[in-house]
Order: sequence, then structure tokens, then C-alpha cells
Amino acid sequence: MARMKFLCDAERCIECNACVTACKNEHEIPWGVNRRRVVTIKDGEPGERSVSVACMHCSDAPCATVCPVDCFYTTDDGVVLHDKDICIGCGYCFYACPFGAPQFPATSAFGSRGKMDKCTFCAGGPEEDSSAEEKRKYGRNRLAEGKLPLCAEMCATKALLGGDGDRVSDIFRERITYRGSAAMAWGWGVAYDKQGVKKSYSQ
Amino acid sequence: MKCCKVSDFACGRALKGMLLVFSLVLLLPLFPYAFAEKHSPIVVPNPGTDLWRAVRHASEGSSQVKGVDTGVLVDDNGKSWLEFRVKKLVPYSAYLLGGVLSVFLLYFLIRGRIKIEGGPSGRVVQRTTRIQRWAHWFVAIVFVILMLTGLVMLYGRWVLIPLLGPDGFSGTAQVAKTLHDYVGVLFVVGVPLLFVVFIREALIKFKVDAMWIVKGGGYLGGSHPLSGKLNAGQKLWYWTAVLGGVVLCVTGLILDFPNFEQGREVMQTSHMVHTIAAVVVTAFFFVHIYLSTLGMEGVFRAMTTGNVDSNWAKQHHILWYEEIKDQAVPESEPSEAADIPATAKQPG
Repeated sequence: MARMKFLCDAERCIECNACVTACKNEHEIPWGVNRRRVVTIKDGEPGERSVSVACMHCSDAPCATVCPVDCFYTTDDGVVLHDKDICIGCGYCFYACPFGAPQFPATSAFGSRGKMDKCTFCAGGPEEDSSAEEKRKYGRNRLAEGKLPLCAEMCATKALLGGDGDRVSDIFRERITYRGSAAMAWGWGVAYDKQGVKKSYSQ
Repeated sequence: MKCCKVSDFACGRALKGMLLVFSLVLLLPLFPYAFAEKHSPIVVPNPGTDLWRAVRHASEGSSQVKGVDTGVLVDDNGKSWLEFRVKKLVPYSAYLLGGVLSVFLLYFLIRGRIKIEGGPSGRVVQRTTRIQRWAHWFVAIVFVILMLTGLVMLYGRWVLIPLLGPDGFSGTAQVAKTLHDYVGVLFVVGVPLLFVVFIREALIKFKVDAMWIVKGGGYLGGSHPLSGKLNAGQKLWYWTAVLGGVVLCVTGLILDFPNFEQGREVMQTSHMVHTIAAVVVTAFFFVHIYLSTLGMEGVFRAMTTGNVDSNWAKQHHILWYEEIKDQAVPESEPSEAADIPATAKQPG
């Protein structure tokens, strides 16, 4: 059984925000909610990097630990999902999550939170797969259609990888091997080729 | 030794010199480090390490997605909040509240109800004004709603889900959360009200109050300590309720209005302070409920009719009784001495 994971390659992300847009469009997400966002560190300075981030589908998810109504569950694919019928919009998952993944549409008075919304790894929710009900609450269930998350599929530079953890790490490991790591990544070798280093990136 | 014969002074110098050389030899292996620090020819900072270390601790970036904290990639403060809530708050508050309840159950079984000494005299003195009673019951009703709904949010997952099922409990929790959010605003009105109407009686008189506490209020045997209109225990409850209430109101309002865009860390801190204050006030609330209903005879009426039996006053609040004993009237007739609405048979 696959263990689904996201990985964003900060050396490749160009902050085009296509993943954000693709996600919003695919799932018809309302105003004010963004299941995915691109964060740029050191914007305009040397060493600037961008990373696309959404729910990371943690193995020991903090949101699930603190939820007072216990609405989270993990699928066989390792995707962390939640039941919007049970969610009460208390915001505890938002306090606990390190990635700022849980989002709350402001549906009621005084900024009181509505039902939580977050990245589903394009895997829908507890309703029947690909049903209209599921689509309305959680967006499209691409996993049930045999497809991977759209954000990763859309990514022009293939910075964002999403899928089975083993495959994702294979791809990334290969990249790292050819690229060299850390300080060497943007050094002499990148520009002028180094002896014995293959230049054609297979992924 | 020869050098010692020549002069002690010279001997001392030789020894000092030897010590210096010896210590230099000992320090010798460290010199390359000091040297390398200053004269390292190649400095290869690893951009990755520094970048990701900073990122992990909520270093601020920027994002095209505008909103609260969206520029923060990773913020691990939530972990401390989670551990506080799951590993400390939930178990320890359960021990504290359960402990208080058990102590009073035990006390009740051993000591029983505290009766009026010599029975009721049939003459009453006014204990509370009508405004005090209205304020009391207003805050009491608001607080009980907030306490119960708060407890549902705190323990519901472990206590109520097994009873009601996930869907059933979700409904309960939804109602609890909404009530807590809205009724909480009334508490902001209630706390200042409580502060104002009881402040005159709740001012601390150090000598009398300290002695009351030293004697344990007379609850654990021994003679009944002297007490004014409110004893030290009641004053402590007043100040816990008022100060705890202020803390609850301030942190509660921060949590109640996420539309002011306070970030996660403010919310986490407010939430921790809010729950600690809530548990402390609730524990004291249990004490208050026990002593004013089941635990003691003749006291509950102070908050319904507003008057108490003169023998009860004499037994528990002797200093106050000495001041007002002339105003005691037979139970059947309304007092003229005290303020009129308070002594009439007003509903609480």
C-alpha cells in the first residue's frame, strides 16, 4: 500500500503559484480559503527560496490529537482527512498545526469559524467516492479516479512532488545525487559541468 | 633541594615558571581551534542548514496568499500548545476537580452537614441586598453555562463520545461551542458587576482574615475563628472569581474574535491562560456550591430571601453579628430596619 507524501523541492520552486490556483479551481474552494500556499523565504535577498506548502498528511497528526470532537482519520494511503459533519469549527487544529494547513471560511457572525477546510491530497472525504456530496464538501476525489493531486501534476518545474512516498524519495534522491547538495548546488559545476557528472536530469 | 637553600623567593619563582609552562603544555592541543576560528581560509556556509533551521522556528517569509500567518512556513509552537493541552491540562485538571469533589464527599461523610448551633432562633437579619442577589444569580447562571460548555469541550472527546457516539457528540459540542462563544460576552458584563456589588464586604482585613485561614475556618475542628460579614474563605472566592473572571474575559475575547487577525501564537497563549484560569475558578466554584447548599444549614437563603437566621450569623460571622444584632426581626414579619426590597419575600 502506498504512503502518500508531498515534497517541494526548494531549488526548483519558482513561486509561480500555479499549484495554489490549480487547487482552488479543481476543488472550487471559496473566497478566503487557500488549501495550498507558496511561502517565499528571504524574498529579494541572496539565498531566496520558495516552498509550496499545504497539509503534509502527518503520520502522527497534531490536528487529530487535539480535535475535541475527534473528526480526523487517516486513510489506508496515509492521507489525513476529516469529517465536516462532525467538525465544529473550534480552531484547535489551526493552533496545533505547524504548517498552517487548516482553514476556516468566515461563514458566521463576528468572525466565528465555519467548518474547517484543508488539503485532502485530492482524496475527498468520508462520503461515497466521487459523489456530488463529497465534491461539494471536500472537492474532487482524484485519487479515486487513479490520479495524483493536481497541484503536483500541474507544477511546471516539477518542484512539487506528490504521490507514493517511496517514488517521491527515489526521484528526489536522484536529483540530489546529480545536483550536489547544499553549497555546491549553485556552484561552478552547475554552470560549467564537472567531470564525471551527468548533466541530463532524468526526472 | 638546593634552590631552597639559596632563597625561598627564587624557589617560588621557579615553581611559578614551571606551573606556567605546564599549563601552556596542557592548553597546547586547543590552540589550533583558536587559530582556525580566526584564520580559516575557506568559509563555506551551508545555505540549506541555516535557512531550514530558521524556517522551522516560524521565521517570517512572504506569500502571495494573504491572511493571518500565511508568510510563516513552519511554526512549531503548536507542539507546546498541544503538549500542554493533552499531557497537562486534561489530566491535571481532572485530578484537581475530581480531587476537590472527593474531598468534599469525604468531608460530608465524616462531618455531615454543618448545623446551626442551638437551632434557628426564628429571628432573621438581612445578609444581602437585592442588587447583590441579582448580580449573584446573573453571574451564577452565566458562569454555570460557560463552565458546563467548557467542560464539554475539554473532556467530551473522552467522556461523551463513548456515550453519545461521534455524530451525537458533534451536535452537543456544536451547541456547547456556540453557547460558550455567545454567553461568554455576558460574562464580560457580569464580572465588573460582581466586583462592584461585593467589594465593600470583600476588602481584606489582614489580622482577622489571616487568623481565619490559620484556623482553617473552623472546618477541621477547633473553635470557630472570628469573622466579619465575609470570612477569609469567602473573600478568597470573591477575589478568585473577580481576578480569574477578568483573565477569562480578556483571553476569552481574544479567542472569541478571530476576525481581528491575531496570530496563532497569541491564540495559543490566550487559550492556555484561559483554560488554567477556568480550571482554578471551577475548582473554587465546587467549594462554593458545596458550602452554600449541601454542606451548611441556613446559608442558602442568604441568596434567595436575602436574610439569615441570627443564630447562624452569630455562629459564622460573629463580628458582623455584633454590628447588626439589633436589627434582627422575627422571621414572619418583614424588617423595616434594613432596605425594604431585600427583606420582602422577593424571588431570587
